[in-house]
Amino acid sequence: MKRLLDALCGLLAGVALFAIMALTLVDVLGRKLLSQSVPGSLELTEILMVVVIFAAMPLVSLHGEHVVFDSLDPLLSPRLRRVQQVLVDGLCCAALAGLAWLMWDKAAAMASYGDTTAQLKLPLGPFVQLMSVLCGVTALVHGLLMLRPTRHHIVGLDEPGQPTPPAGGAT
Amino acid sequence: MIEALLAFAAVFVLALLRIPLAFAMGFVGFVGLGLMRGWGPTAAAAAQVVYDTGFAYTLSVVPLFILMGNFVARAGLAHELFRAAYAFIGHFRGGLAHATVLACAGFGAICGSSIATAATMAKVAYPSMKKLGYSDYLSTGVIAAGGTLGIMIPPSTIMVIYGIVTETNIGKLFAAGVLPGLLCAALMMCGVAWITWRDPAAGPAGERSTWPQRWRALRDIWGVVLLVIVVLGGIYGGVFTATEGAGIGASGAFFFALLRGALPPKVLLQVLVESARTTAMLFTILIAAMMFSNFINFTSMPGDLRQGITHLGLSPLMVVGAMMVVYVLLGTIMEELSMVLLTIPVFFPIVTQLGFDPVWFGVLIVLVVQIGLISPPVGMNLFVLNALLDGVTLKQIFRGVWLFVVTLVIALAVVLELPWLALWLPGFMK
Repeated sequence: MKRLLDALCGLLAGVALFAIMALTLVDVLGRKLLSQSVPGSLELTEILMVVVIFAAMPLVSLHGEHVVFDSLDPLLSPRLRRVQQVLVDGLCCAALAGLAWLMWDKAAAMASYGDTTAQLKLPLGPFVQLMSVLCGVTALVHGLLMLRPTRHHIVGLDEPGQPTPPAGGAT
Repeated sequence: MIEALLAFAAVFVLALLRIPLAFAMGFVGFVGLGLMRGWGPTAAAAAQVVYDTGFAYTLSVVPLFILMGNFVARAGLAHELFRAAYAFIGHFRGGLAHATVLACAGFGAICGSSIATAATMAKVAYPSMKKLGYSDYLSTGVIAAGGTLGIMIPPSTIMVIYGIVTETNIGKLFAAGVLPGLLCAALMMCGVAWITWRDPAAGPAGERSTWPQRWRALRDIWGVVLLVIVVLGGIYGGVFTATEGAGIGASGAFFFALLRGALPPKVLLQVLVESARTTAMLFTILIAAMMFSNFINFTSMPGDLRQGITHLGLSPLMVVGAMMVVYVLLGTIMEELSMVLLTIPVFFPIVTQLGFDPVWFGVLIVLVVQIGLISPPVGMNLFVLNALLDGVTLKQIFRGVWLFVVTLVIALAVVLELPWLALWLPGFMK
């Protein structure tokens, strides 16, 4: 389950990110050298951004990479920490489920107005639905973490003592 | 005013209960706005924030710079930078530590992340220093501090995020970071000199290189120079936007890594997924911070504070100075990005109201983030080094880094006092 999610969402987000990079390169080179830009490159980038962000979101939750304030951890007993983790994951699950529901509503509204992108006339509804579904998946991840807790940390090390490659953090 | 203060308190309490900061901010922002404006409009506004942040072309600058940094870290360009710096100054006392600062500054010009810079340099510089008998406290301290040059010297993820949330020109922010970045590097080298003067055994001199060796080492860094000229030169010269520059930079770094055989398909996918994960983590905070600031802007707090400051007749510089004190103190225990995003809705309107340049304030923000990243007890750079280097304790890293925290605080005071340091270069941009 964990592996499948890692592979699927990872592939989706990774390929989308690579596509943004390639698209920007081709677009800029085309415009500067051949004075011909890729039609609709702007909106394609926007759609790909949605895929990158929301497909990677379940993974961030799965690997406990959200920023948390964990300085008080040593003060709590393991039992208490377990209870705390269940509550925290429960809240995150509820919040994301609520968000998924909101986005689903928004997708339905946009589909009924027939909203499309400006240049390529791609319908926007399905992509907002995708956002909603992936928020739902992330909620599910937190739900599963409630049952089977993992350690959460701020540096995103998956196994203790196994240094991550120099992944660029946010800062 | 009261409601906003309660909201800040609530965010801190929720965070202390170990709720991820993004969720704490988003939750409090949502509930606060819901209580003030009603739940229907608040729900619609929340969905709109998520939608707008997702479908935003300009925000693609964030993952692209993260990706560029991660490719560059794999491409091995850091080795050449370190070798070149070493060839010129390695034979001085503490020469390897000085070379580390210079290599970090060079690496900072192609990487926008402090953590990635520190992690990369840990692999490159630490083994050399260890071999020459450097004390761990000096070597780890200088790597942790040098890493922070990654976010002051452009490109810089934190500048990009500041630029996005405050609608400040990212190209100008990048230009503004150059001189303060060099100032930080110079002060860090003074710090190294001070340490090796007090404790010569901590950083013995290395071998002197010959001039032909030096020129060869210098020639080897052409890859870095090319990337810097194309990406930063292109953005500064107005050839392309920051977003386009990020795309070009990421592509360039990709080809470098590919040509050097550092990117088998498995590693490529790993780099892409890591970058996407960092992006998603960051956007979760960004979305939550926007919900929170929507609420704060709806309260009377920004207005009340502005009035209070005019009323008290404080000097404008003192107000900004006080903000910096708050940041430095908060930065010792808080994660820096969330700290900035949490406080910007309150601080930024005051700063612009007082007539200060948002670009200058952006540089100050980067400086406090730098300080926060290396100030114990909670500093991300320190933790990364601790995780990466076997046999080095957090205690040793803490011991070595204090002096560099002081040097950065001095840099902060200098830029606070001399705004032209930040504003001179962007002044040439249209």
